[in-house]
Amino acid sequence: MHMKKTNILFLLLIISSSLFAQDDTSFNANKTLNEIVVTATRTERKLGNVAVPVRIINQKTIQQAGSLRLKDILQEQAGLFITNGFGAGVQMQGLNPDYTLLLLDGEPLVGRTAGVLDLNRLSVGNIKKIEIVKGPSSSLYGSEAMAGVINIITDNTFKKQLNTGLRYGFGDPNEGWAFPGGKKTFNNIDLNLQAGTTINKLGIQFFSDANYLDGISFRPFSIERIAQPIWRMTNQLQFNYPFSQKTKVTLSIRHAYDHIKQEFAVSNNGAVTNSYGRESNKDLNISSAIIHRFNDNIKTALRLYATEYNGSQKLYFREIPDSSYNDEFKQHFYRVENQSDFSWKKSTITAGAGVAFDQANSTRYDNISSRKQNTILYGFIQDEWRPSEKITVIAGVRYDDNKLFAAAASPKLAVRYAVSKKLSIKGSVGRGFKAPDFRQLYLNFTNNAAGGYSVFGSIDAVKIIDQLNQSGLIAEIKEDYAKLKQLKPEFSTGYNIGGTYSANDKLIINFNIFRNDIENLIDAREVAIRKNGTQIFSYINVKNAYTQGAETEVKYNIFKNIEINAGYQLLITADKADLQKIKSESVFTRDVNGYSKVMSRSDYIGLPNRSRNMANFKITYDNQQCFATARIIYRSKWAVADKDGNGVYNTNDEFAKGFVQLNLSAGRQFTKGIRLQAGMDNVFNYQDTNNLPNLQGRMIYITAQFKLIQ
Amino acid sequence: MKNRLFFSVLAAIVIFGACKKDKTVVAPPADPYAFNVTVSGNLVTVKNLPADTIVGLVNGQPVGIGKYAFFNLRTNSWVPNSDSASTNWDVAFSGTTIRINGGTSGTGSGGAFVWVGSYNNLTTVPADSTFRIDNYPSYAITKGSGKGWYSYDGATNLLTPIPGRVLVIRTANGKYAKIEILNYYRGGVTPSASATDEIKTSEQRYYTFRFTYQSNGTTTF
Repeated sequence: MHMKKTNILFLLLIISSSLFAQDDTSFNANKTLNEIVVTATRTERKLGNVAVPVRIINQKTIQQAGSLRLKDILQEQAGLFITNGFGAGVQMQGLNPDYTLLLLDGEPLVGRTAGVLDLNRLSVGNIKKIEIVKGPSSSLYGSEAMAGVINIITDNTFKKQLNTGLRYGFGDPNEGWAFPGGKKTFNNIDLNLQAGTTINKLGIQFFSDANYLDGISFRPFSIERIAQPIWRMTNQLQFNYPFSQKTKVTLSIRHAYDHIKQEFAVSNNGAVTNSYGRESNKDLNISSAIIHRFNDNIKTALRLYATEYNGSQKLYFREIPDSSYNDEFKQHFYRVENQSDFSWKKSTITAGAGVAFDQANSTRYDNISSRKQNTILYGFIQDEWRPSEKITVIAGVRYDDNKLFAAAASPKLAVRYAVSKKLSIKGSVGRGFKAPDFRQLYLNFTNNAAGGYSVFGSIDAVKIIDQLNQSGLIAEIKEDYAKLKQLKPEFSTGYNIGGTYSANDKLIINFNIFRNDIENLIDAREVAIRKNGTQIFSYINVKNAYTQGAETEVKYNIFKNIEINAGYQLLITADKADLQKIKSESVFTRDVNGYSKVMSRSDYIGLPNRSRNMANFKITYDNQQCFATARIIYRSKWAVADKDGNGVYNTNDEFAKGFVQLNLSAGRQFTKGIRLQAGMDNVFNYQDTNNLPNLQGRMIYITAQFKLIQ
Repeated sequence: MKNRLFFSVLAAIVIFGACKKDKTVVAPPADPYAFNVTVSGNLVTVKNLPADTIVGLVNGQPVGIGKYAFFNLRTNSWVPNSDSASTNWDVAFSGTTIRINGGTSGTGSGGAFVWVGSYNNLTTVPADSTFRIDNYPSYAITKGSGKGWYSYDGATNLLTPIPGRVLVIRTANGKYAKIEILNYYRGGVTPSASATDEIKTSEQRYYTFRFTYQSNGTTTF
């Protein structure tokens, strides 16, 4: 109780000290619309002129929200839903995390587990801005850019600076309130350092971040709530050398490392197993580019990229001597790409081509030493045509040729029309795709503990079933077996219609209606049965689905220094096969007596793990010297389990409760480069261990930042 | 005072109302987990029939003692295991396996198939129906998730009878019945997806089902 008062007093102190300060430097609609975006067209464009839906999260927003990891800031954006399971993933326009391409300075991040790239692997300490492009963007980026693209752009000013920041956060997930350093206190410590300079034209910049987090168990059935701690480390070194006004070379090396110590007890069917071990994730990204500007109209860039992800988990079981569980997944991705931009009359033509080598080794496949490899050859061309000040037309296409499976062609057309100075409307239609991943091609898993069924990737399944068949060990080959040999990428066609209305300098309203028609979704199906009765499953193209909805974002400078930012997304989804079955009255559910009845269309809720309504609200006071923010996140309920067993998600199924999360923060800039910030995340201490294992309880933090050289 | 009167009237309505319709009904059981049979006209509801419930773990897998619960659809009664070699039973339950009294499972003339549709809509067994017969290791009522009467969710470890599945049964004496399995867990309530494995294990293998038996030998219910 005493603690609670102190905490609140402390926050109030900072907030009130902010309010007394003067100076008006609030947001300005015109300035916002003139911000530069690169992800939408792969060329630098003003946000207000872009023909597709784009959101920018700038450094100040990230800093004021007190975000440490990419998950922290993305969860505060309307229309982005953070998924749980295999880390924190991002669901955009109702599509699973598999279908959003994540870029770091324009280069793809790899190392997904079950399609999820854990957003906790990325520190946001040196991020200049995050650009979010919604809608299929495969016409520029190829595979994975089906729902959209999130491009994380690091600070690369190469100015002379030496900054350091220290943050201490504390909480107690069980009691709700905690003392710093208390026995049950859950601690989070973050230390970062940023340095830069330019010596004889050579720009050098360094960033380092170390994060320590007392672990909360992510396993719902583990007996102890508190697990072992997580260490995360990120280092990035960047160089920039301009040979002349026209030519420059850049190099960036990033190394990130997560180390998660594990010690937990899991109860399985009443038998308790105590496990201990470690999990680690390593990322190495090396990118280099030579950029040459021939003249004002022609620019070319040669980009080289190599990245490696290494994820491993090793567990020992205390009760069973000499036993261990070992899971390893290594992915290497190399890419060479050239992009050239030509301006000619009223057009800007962007053309590029490249070759990428994608390789993986894993214990999840037949043999860790057997390297799986795909080679991708691709080319793209886009024309941005501006016949007048009011109209922008973008037409583009990309072709990806894959060694392992069918090729993909991804066209896109986008139009922006400025109706007046205040209102612009935009519409786009495009195709997106996601190539089958190594898991879907090479997984080799037999569950001996649960009856001996197997799941094989489609390439391996053909090989294994043919071998077993020759040895006379196959009892039955299912119809779906034939589909294994013609595995296709998953495709979607996305439509976005929206616009921007800016009544004056103080107000911007963005709105967008979207629809994604998804074909060939890959899922596991039974393809054969062994003579001993065990089933063999593999991956084939099975499902067609759609997601559609509307989203809006309002930015309003309501009073001097006070800005309101509100966002909302409505989402409606469906599996098209489900709709067929419901229409033919062949899906049943149960009434209050438990008796079967035909399920009606109105009971259908679409795809699981999706909130129909999502809203975010933020109010910020900012006078350059001081700021205070309150951020509210709302997510409506989402389906988590098919409780009535009919295979279709409906109102009779199990849902996770909808929730409201409130985050507060306030800070003050002192002279001589000292900045202090304090905040409270998850003020209502909302927790849902089973459905939101990534959501920590209430946390209070204090941050100090020092500019040592500037 | 008012309340007491209200409850007395309510109790009277419940008791007399129930008795008027069907005389075989006794007062509702106090224990919702007890095995219990209620009859309402030609509709019989069986609750909590234990079907080889879990007694322990073998190699980490939950197991029962390996016995069946035999049921007679003609007399609405749970038949002792000593009668298993007779025609005194029509269906037998053990875990997810349901046997009929015929083929490799029994000496009767039993058979069965799974009909897709709602229980009340099955008024007559379709003329072109084929009754299957137990032929160990395969059964008239197919085993396996999504193949017969249930679906199993590997993520939640829960088993659910698929709604809209009616088991059409030919009894040991060659007459017909229809069964709808309502639940597989004790008390007729499936545990929550987030319940512990202990609960999911200890509560399973208790059948709640309803059935209608046609004693005149026709296929019309």
